[in-house]
Amino acid sequence: MPLTIRELRRRLAPVPGMVPAALIPPASHGREEEACITPATLIEPGPVTARAVGSPEVWPGTVAFLDGTQRIEVAGYFGTSPLVLAEVAAAVRERVGRDTRTVAIERRALAIGRPHVLAAAGDALSGIETVALQGEEPGHPLRDVDEARHAVDRARGEVERIAGDEYRRRAPHWLVVDGSLSESTGWARDPRMVGVSKSHSTLPFDGEDLVTYLQLPAGHRSSIFQPASRRHAPVYAWGLRLWPWMGRDLLYGLVRIEVAARSESLAAADPLCRWLLAERAPISAPDGRWDRLLYGIRGVEEYLRAVRGER
Amino acid sequence: MTSNPQPRALSGQPPVGRVVATELKPSTPHQFYFWTARESPVGIGAIVRVDADSRTVFGVVTDGFAYSDLQTPMHAVIGADGDPAGAEEPTRRAEIRLFAAAVLRHLPEEPVQPVPLGLVHLASDADVVTALRMDAYTEGESPTGIPIGVYAAGGLEAPVYVDADFLLGPEAAHLNISGVSGLATKTSAVEFLLTSIFQRFPAGKGRIAAVCFNVKGPDLCFLDQPAPLGEEDTRLYARLGLTPKPFAPVHYYAPYKADGVNLNTLRTHEALQSNTEPLLWGLREVLDYAEVLLNRDDVDAKADAFIDFLAERVVDREYEDNTLGRKFHVKSFADLDEFFRAIFQVLEEAGRGGEVWRTHHIATIRKIRNRLGNISTRSKGLVTDDGEVNDLPWGSFQDRGLYVVDVAGLDPLAQDLVFARLVSRLREHLERRDLGVEHVVVFVDELNKYAPADGPDSYVRKMLLDISERGRYLGLVLFSAQQFRSQVQRRVVGNAGTTLMGRMDSDELALPGYSTMSPATKAKLAALPKGELLVRHPHFTQPIFVRFPRPAVLSGREGVERFPPAVELPFVEAVSRRLRALDPSLSSAKIQDLVAGRREADVRKALNATLRARPDQPFPFFVKCLGREVRAETVAPKPGIRPVRTGADPY
Repeated sequence: MPLTIRELRRRLAPVPGMVPAALIPPASHGREEEACITPATLIEPGPVTARAVGSPEVWPGTVAFLDGTQRIEVAGYFGTSPLVLAEVAAAVRERVGRDTRTVAIERRALAIGRPHVLAAAGDALSGIETVALQGEEPGHPLRDVDEARHAVDRARGEVERIAGDEYRRRAPHWLVVDGSLSESTGWARDPRMVGVSKSHSTLPFDGEDLVTYLQLPAGHRSSIFQPASRRHAPVYAWGLRLWPWMGRDLLYGLVRIEVAARSESLAAADPLCRWLLAERAPISAPDGRWDRLLYGIRGVEEYLRAVRGER
Repeated sequence: MTSNPQPRALSGQPPVGRVVATELKPSTPHQFYFWTARESPVGIGAIVRVDADSRTVFGVVTDGFAYSDLQTPMHAVIGADGDPAGAEEPTRRAEIRLFAAAVLRHLPEEPVQPVPLGLVHLASDADVVTALRMDAYTEGESPTGIPIGVYAAGGLEAPVYVDADFLLGPEAAHLNISGVSGLATKTSAVEFLLTSIFQRFPAGKGRIAAVCFNVKGPDLCFLDQPAPLGEEDTRLYARLGLTPKPFAPVHYYAPYKADGVNLNTLRTHEALQSNTEPLLWGLREVLDYAEVLLNRDDVDAKADAFIDFLAERVVDREYEDNTLGRKFHVKSFADLDEFFRAIFQVLEEAGRGGEVWRTHHIATIRKIRNRLGNISTRSKGLVTDDGEVNDLPWGSFQDRGLYVVDVAGLDPLAQDLVFARLVSRLREHLERRDLGVEHVVVFVDELNKYAPADGPDSYVRKMLLDISERGRYLGLVLFSAQQFRSQVQRRVVGNAGTTLMGRMDSDELALPGYSTMSPATKAKLAALPKGELLVRHPHFTQPIFVRFPRPAVLSGREGVERFPPAVELPFVEAVSRRLRALDPSLSSAKIQDLVAGRREADVRKALNATLRARPDQPFPFFVKCLGREVRAETVAPKPGIRPVRTGADPY
């Protein structure tokens, strides 16, 4: 079991030269994305339309949910260079019948800083993974923290991939991933994985198509498209409105679904949507994202939080 | 890759839960919380063991909670689109089964510390023994454990014992049982416990007997008759190390009805007559306990003085007083009434100033005559005019003997008298150590009637209080039962070392006296099935639920069905039946021929003498007691004395 940030802080307390700090950087619990429009390629013949998917249907058979968490804190400074501590974790919880249980978990503790900072911390960091920030230019504490955050994002992506791959190696069931499938080439090709993304920082259309996309009625999906920029592998995607948005917000209840870019995925879109509509109950309240957060995904988050001992 | 952590059992049984302690729900030395899987054998009353590194703690589950991660019911409504039947939830909400447990015992006992975080196991047989501190009295050279039932939870089952020293004295004593009528199985519990005591009371502690008062219906009328037991009951007896068999010997006592020959009991079936005797008292037996008959207003020094005068100077001795003009030998109520009439006659003849006889005011004398006369009239079958007595075998009580006194048919005043006299006699004999046994259990149902919480102080209540406070030193132990504990004098029930509760009334449980129980324990008590009890015993730091087998004797209802009471017989046939109970070979016709035309009082006297003596040859004995018939003879009118013939008056 990896060390927690609290335990690492205790270890670091007597290290000479370190000035303790207690900064929790903004968005330390999740990944930050920049808002932009990156036009996608329509897979279903255009223009973008809203398509009714039918009544919700309970997911047939066993299904699993994958999510990851991260936590980052500035533990202290050596001069003006920060030493950043982080915990990342990912887990898969499998639902058999109506009950879920954890079937895979991956956790890591990280210490991130410039090389001289890591060297100064010495034995206090023994046994944990360290990430050295490289850079020619003179150190800027805010830039260092920002880079550390990117390193943590990458680490989180990695533990999610490990946990997901482990599950898919030994189980033939559907795996629902919180976020995009294109993080992994393997996931993007996996016919039994589906990504459910709550984030709409990158929008696939503009103009009338975007109006249609963002004003989908509840229980409708958009035409299927292929997002333009994906880091590792192409996927097929579409928008799905889980809850009525009028009177609330354009993004209320809107999720982006991603599946493998295969011809079979076109036929699977509507059944998948019906299954996902059924996943609206039970709702994930009191989480503020409950209109887009599936209860199965929230269960994974809650599990990881409990394992970390977080209140 | 790390696998999901699985708890490892510290003993053979897998753990069923884990202790949790939070700031809001911390562990203390006397209470802790633990959670279990959704499907768990843990329930209210289950005994559990907590294993930590250097400490083992035993506890009993007192309350349970379940909740989900739902923050408000509104979220459930939204999730279901407002239709309770509409939305099926593919994933079951996360929920918790949280249990509160009260600590039974810490090992080591010192220092007393909060319950540690640890794995929770269901208690095994050995754990139950340790948790309830039964190891102190069920092991060693002279164990004193009396089985009271089995504790059962999660498929595990363990016998529970109470300590004879704390149930029957001298350390503590007395037992009280509460519960609603018909469902609490109070009578069955006492019958089972008496079976257990008679079979397991250590021989080294002396001989023991029980006196049971049957106060309603046929409840205790068939304790000598075996009942068929089911497989489960038979198994429970075996688990407790007991043999299911009816009581033996059993002696029944019941007063007569007003006719003086038919017994006032539902145990009148001919097949049951061999051990059913009349309870018959004379003036002396009543006078010694006359205080019972007096109400609060009656009790004064003058009345006491006059009763003492009667008891010491008049009854059962020759009394001569110049003012009354003759000697009196008062042996019966009839003699006493004649004595009173003589006093009143003297006072009436004295005219003005004749209100006091030998310092006793006429009003006091009339009051005592009224009260004593009252009992002889209202309890005609119990109290005889002619001084005949048939009583319990004082001085020759049998070890493991059961003596049942059926007072169900008596009026309340007579019930009080019977109860007061029998218990007082038991006490006297136990004090003198000449009863025949060293310990006596007295079982009284409807204790609220004899020792009510409120109302005037009565002789019986004072006596019950005295037994409950001092009886254990004598070996006199009170087993009592009532529907509502709150309606019984607090000191009487408070002195009961062992308390049992069957199914309880919800209103009763809402009273402050039950405030130490958790709501869940109360809820369980209010719906407790037949055959289950909550036991409080000095060795147990928390009350424990146990299950006991049905008694191996016929219940009152079964007994009446199998042995229907005989119809009330005419005088002659009733006499015949009672004699035939002593000698079944006797012919009814022979007896009827013998008593035909005889005075009923003479026949009754002879019958009682025969029943009391139980001779080898009942019929000759009865004939002898009855005596020779004195036939009525017609006296021819004597010729009158003729007037003296005289002639004409010379004057």
